[in-house]
Amino acid sequence: MNHTNYKGRKALGKVGLFTFLTAMALMFICPMVFTVFSSFKDNTEIFGDPFSLPKTFRFSNYVEAWNGANMSTYFINSLVISIATVVILAVVSSMAAYALSRFNLKCGKALTIFFLAGMMIPIHTILVPVAYIIGKFNLKNNLVALVLIYVAFSLSFSIYVLARFMKGINRSLEEAAIIDGAGYFQIYTRIMLPLTVPAISTVSIFNFLGAWNNILFPLLFINDDKLKPIALGLLNFNGERGSAYGPLMAAIVITVFIPMVIYLLFQEKVESGLAAGAVKE
Amino acid sequence: MIYLKSRKDKFKIFLFIVPALVLYVLFQIVPMIGAFYFSVADWNGIAGTAIKMVGLKNYIAVFKDPGFLISLQNMGKMVFFSVLFHTPIALLLAVAINTKCRGYRFYKAVYFVPTVFPLTAVGLLWYFIFMPNGSFNTLLTNMGLSQFVTPWLINTSTAMNTIIFVNIWAGVGYYMVILIAGLTTIPDDIYEAAQIDGITTVKKFFLITVPMLKPIISMCIVMDIIGTVKVFDLIFVMTEGGPNGLTNLPTTLMYYEAFRYDHYGIGSAIGIIIFLIALVLTVGSEYLTSRTEN
Repeated sequence: MNHTNYKGRKALGKVGLFTFLTAMALMFICPMVFTVFSSFKDNTEIFGDPFSLPKTFRFSNYVEAWNGANMSTYFINSLVISIATVVILAVVSSMAAYALSRFNLKCGKALTIFFLAGMMIPIHTILVPVAYIIGKFNLKNNLVALVLIYVAFSLSFSIYVLARFMKGINRSLEEAAIIDGAGYFQIYTRIMLPLTVPAISTVSIFNFLGAWNNILFPLLFINDDKLKPIALGLLNFNGERGSAYGPLMAAIVITVFIPMVIYLLFQEKVESGLAAGAVKE
Repeated sequence: MIYLKSRKDKFKIFLFIVPALVLYVLFQIVPMIGAFYFSVADWNGIAGTAIKMVGLKNYIAVFKDPGFLISLQNMGKMVFFSVLFHTPIALLLAVAINTKCRGYRFYKAVYFVPTVFPLTAVGLLWYFIFMPNGSFNTLLTNMGLSQFVTPWLINTSTAMNTIIFVNIWAGVGYYMVILIAGLTTIPDDIYEAAQIDGITTVKKFFLITVPMLKPIISMCIVMDIIGTVKVFDLIFVMTEGGPNGLTNLPTTLMYYEAFRYDHYGIGSAIGIIIFLIALVLTVGSEYLTSRTEN
C-alpha cells in the first residue's frame, strides 16, 4: 500500500517536473520562435497572423537585411573586431599572466592587485574620458583604437583567469627547460602556452562574446556606417527602416547567429567558464 | 615559483608584463583618473575648448535633478525585483535540470541561450513584442483579455516593469548554470541518507539543497545586484529612458547627459556615482559574506 503510494507520488512528481520545465521553456522559446517566424513574413502577415508559421518563407527578407541594410558589412566588421580583440588579448594577457604567476618578481603581488582592481571599473565611469581621448588624438572611426579599448577593458579578467590557471601548472617541465638552456620566451611559447590552452580558450570565448555584443564603445568611436559592428548596425537599421519588420527580424536573427553557434559548439566550455566569468560582472 | 636572482633576468620577465601594463594604464587607469577630473570640471565636449574647474557643482546639480533621483529609484526597483526573481527561478530550474531527466540538456540550452545574445538584439526582439501593435497585445486580444491591452513600453505605469521583466528573462539562464555547477558539488550520499529517512522532495530542497548552496546563492545575489546596477543596453534599445525619463537608470542617464546634451561634467559625476555604488556594494557584500562565514 505504502509502496504504491510512493510510486504514485513519484509519477506525480515527474509530471510536475516536466510541466514546470516545459512551461518555462515555452517562456523562452516563444519569443525566439516568434522572431524567427516573423523574419520570413511580410508586414501584413506579421501583424495579421503573428503566431502562425509563415505561409511562404520569404528569404528575400534575409537578402534585404544582408545586402540592402548592410548587415553583411556589419557582420564582417564584427568578426574582424572580435577576432582581433581575442587574439591580442590572448597574447598580451597570457604573457603578463606568465610573468606574474611563475616568478618571484618583487612587485609581482602589487602588480597583480593593480590589474585585478580594473574589474571594479564600470564601463560608464570611463566613457567621458575615453571620448575626450578619442577627440584629442583623432581616434574617431579608428578600429585599431576600438580593439585596444576592448583589450584594455578585458585585461583584468583575462589575466586573473590565466594567472590562476598557470599557478597550478607543474614546474618540472619548466625547470628542465631552464637546465637545457631555454630562454624565458621559449619557455613561454613552447611550454606555458600549450599547457594553458584550456584556460585561454575559455577566456577567448568570453572575450569574443564581449566584443561581439558591446555597443557602448562603438557608439563613441564609430560614426562611419562602413565601420560599424553588428550590434550597432542592427540599431541603425531599426532607426532607419522602422517599418520593414520582416527584414528587421531577419537582422536580429543574423545578429544572434554567431553567439548562438559559439554556444552550441562550446556548450560545456561556455558554461564551465561562467564560474570564472562570474568574477567580472 | 621560479626564483630569479640576477637583475637582468628580472628585467627580462618584467618585459612580459609591459604590453599589458601599457594598454591597461593608457585605456583604463588614465580614463579612471580622468573620470574624477571631468566630474569636477565643466567641458562642452569639443576637443580643444577650455575645461573649467567647478568643484562639486556637478554633483550638487546631479542630486538636485529629479531625473537622477528617478533613475536611482528605478535602479532600486530593478535590483529588488531582479534579486526577487533571478536567483529563486534559476535555483528551481537548476534543481529541475539536475534531476538529469529526459531532455535536460535541451531545457538547459533553451534557458541559457539568451544570455549569450547581444542585449541589443534581445531588447529589439522584446520591443517588437511589446510595441503598441505588437504580438503581445494581439495575443491578449485573441485570448479575450483586450482590457489589458496597453502600449507596454510607453505607458508610464508599465514601462519600467516591462523592462524589469525582460532583464529577468535575459539573465535567469546565467545564474542557473552557476547554480547547476554548485549542485554537482553536493555529495549524493546526503540525498541518499535523506531518501532512507523518507524525507519528501520539498523538504530535501529546503533542508539540504538550499543550505548546502548558500555560498553560491549569495554569490549569485551579489553578482545580480552589481550586474543590475550596470544594465544599459536593454533600456537604450527599448525605451531610450522614456517616457519622460521615467525608465532611466543612472547608466542611461549618464550616457544621455554626456553624449546627447553635451553635459560632460554631469555625465562624469554620474559615472563616478555609479562607480561608488558598485564599489560599496562589492565591498559591502564581501564584508557581509566573510562575516557570516566566520
